[in-house]
Amino acid sequence: MLLEIKDIHVHYGKIAAIKGISLEVDEGEIVSLIGANGAGKTTTLKTISGLRPLTSGKVVFNGEDISKMPGHKRVMAGIGQSPEGRGVFPGMTVQENLLMGAYTRKDALDADLAEVYELFPRLAERKNQFGGTMSGGEQQMIAIGRALMTKPKVLLLDEPSMGLAPMLIAQIFEIIKEINKRGTTVLLVEQNAQQALKLSDRAYVLETGRVVKSAPGPALLDDPQVRAAYLGGH
Amino acid sequence: MKGNGVTGNANPLRRVGALVDGARDWWEHAKAWQRYLVYLGAVVFALILPAPAIGSFMSPGADWTSVLIYPIGTYILLAVGLNVVVGQAGLLDLGFVAFFAIGGYSVAYFGTQYGWNYWATVAFGIILAAVSGVILGAPTLRLRGDYLAIVTLGFGEIVRITANNTDEIGGARGITNVPHPTDIPGVVEFGLLPAPYYYLILIAIVLVIIFSVRLQKSRVGRAWAAIREDEDAAELMGVPTFKFKLLAFAIGAMIGGLAGGIYAGKAVFIEPNTFPFILSATILAAVVLGGAGNLPGVILGAFVIAWLPERFREVNWLKDVLDRDPAEYRILLFGGVLVLMMALRPEGLLPSRRRRAELHEGTGGMGTMGAEVAGPDTDVTTTEAAK
Repeated sequence: MLLEIKDIHVHYGKIAAIKGISLEVDEGEIVSLIGANGAGKTTTLKTISGLRPLTSGKVVFNGEDISKMPGHKRVMAGIGQSPEGRGVFPGMTVQENLLMGAYTRKDALDADLAEVYELFPRLAERKNQFGGTMSGGEQQMIAIGRALMTKPKVLLLDEPSMGLAPMLIAQIFEIIKEINKRGTTVLLVEQNAQQALKLSDRAYVLETGRVVKSAPGPALLDDPQVRAAYLGGH
Repeated sequence: MKGNGVTGNANPLRRVGALVDGARDWWEHAKAWQRYLVYLGAVVFALILPAPAIGSFMSPGADWTSVLIYPIGTYILLAVGLNVVVGQAGLLDLGFVAFFAIGGYSVAYFGTQYGWNYWATVAFGIILAAVSGVILGAPTLRLRGDYLAIVTLGFGEIVRITANNTDEIGGARGITNVPHPTDIPGVVEFGLLPAPYYYLILIAIVLVIIFSVRLQKSRVGRAWAAIREDEDAAELMGVPTFKFKLLAFAIGAMIGGLAGGIYAGKAVFIEPNTFPFILSATILAAVVLGGAGNLPGVILGAFVIAWLPERFREVNWLKDVLDRDPAEYRILLFGGVLVLMMALRPEGLLPSRRRRAELHEGTGGMGTMGAEVAGPDTDVTTTEAAK
């Protein structure tokens, strides 16, 4: 198991945001977390990447307990995240944003940079533009590309489709698939359950800080309960 | 509202803005020798600045060289120091005067009580300021935005009040007969004449600027920029955000301590009220007014903030119009000018391009106020349709 979360509890002040979530991500998989607002999806990702401290439970990555490891060291261990709301550095150019992703690396970057530009030709066209002046979709590309520059073993994506036009959403999901095909494990948080489930090997459904269901992605697509709650179907 | 007023409409300072942009473009493409020529020009300008011919316009009422030392030179030194914290790392520090005080008191106390060499007391003051910066930062830098501002504000007051209530360092009466800087035989003597102090503070400013520019261009500077623009994202890039914030605090504090040491050596007398909260606020105003993060802007801002109130003492036509001493109205005038400048150039007099992009995005340093509010999944959705 590449990433294992065992019965984690996370609090914001006194409020419990996560009340015992356990999940697993195996090497090479795309796993998604779906659920409504406030279900704890983003908090789960932040806990994995070390932005939120655990109250109890364990995060195990690559066989090592990283529960107490600070966030910036988890990056070096191989956890890359594209944060919620994209978190692009607005005053840095596209290229500088991508190079920030390689901040901790000392090896050659050219090949990886070229790969990101190949995945996102749009970014190659706009290398020298400030991140803050890019459109929402382009910023999402920067955020994903920047996370790839950390050379992650597992890529955590927080709502990559948020605020994007349908055309762009389809494009972003295509790219996520491609990234996975090239060997990066993906843990995806999405409200856009339909798209996410189609893409995923497995998925977990979160509700108010708990896992209520887990199954292979396509199976959840046909699950009547999930359809009713998240897919707007019958 | 940040930055909105800048893009559009006919603004009397727009032409100035275009001029600044032009200069910046030239600078970006300038060759090394051209840049060094500009540096050289700036230094020569600073060297001849105390000339009486300039002083007769800049400061008709008071000794120009003394005005150049305090407030102008001291403010510039402090502003460059605070710029490391506020402009580069994006941490809102409202208690910066504390480090100025610590530097000043080190020189005064160890000089008068133990007879240490002046330069040793300055060095010790810088170390002490850095240590106190770390002591202040270690527990508080986990806070963000407004919370950090409040704690630093408290720290500034704690230092002042502690000085006020500690008899060992003179209490409310302060310390008198602070020794002047030790003479350097054959080169310079520090006595009552202001000129040597001016050149001392000029050297300090130049060194601090070089230090600050080197930092900005280093890995440290990149880390600070990332923290300023998005702290969580910086952590996700592998930047040890806490350590770098602490470093920014310590370096800013060192520069503040240096300014305090030089000030005390010139002023001969310091007391707790030499270091009021308003000085922190004034230096912060200088940084913001000039264009936080951009050194030429910060220096210009500090100059304007320091010089204007002094100059307004001597606005003679006002004396004729109002039939009153303009000195009484100088702070009012000063306030008016500040409001006007911030209305016309809300990003600062000389903002960097990068800073401008940050402000338009609504993040970056003091704009972030990124306090985490309790609540499951604080979804600050910055949803925007893609085009």
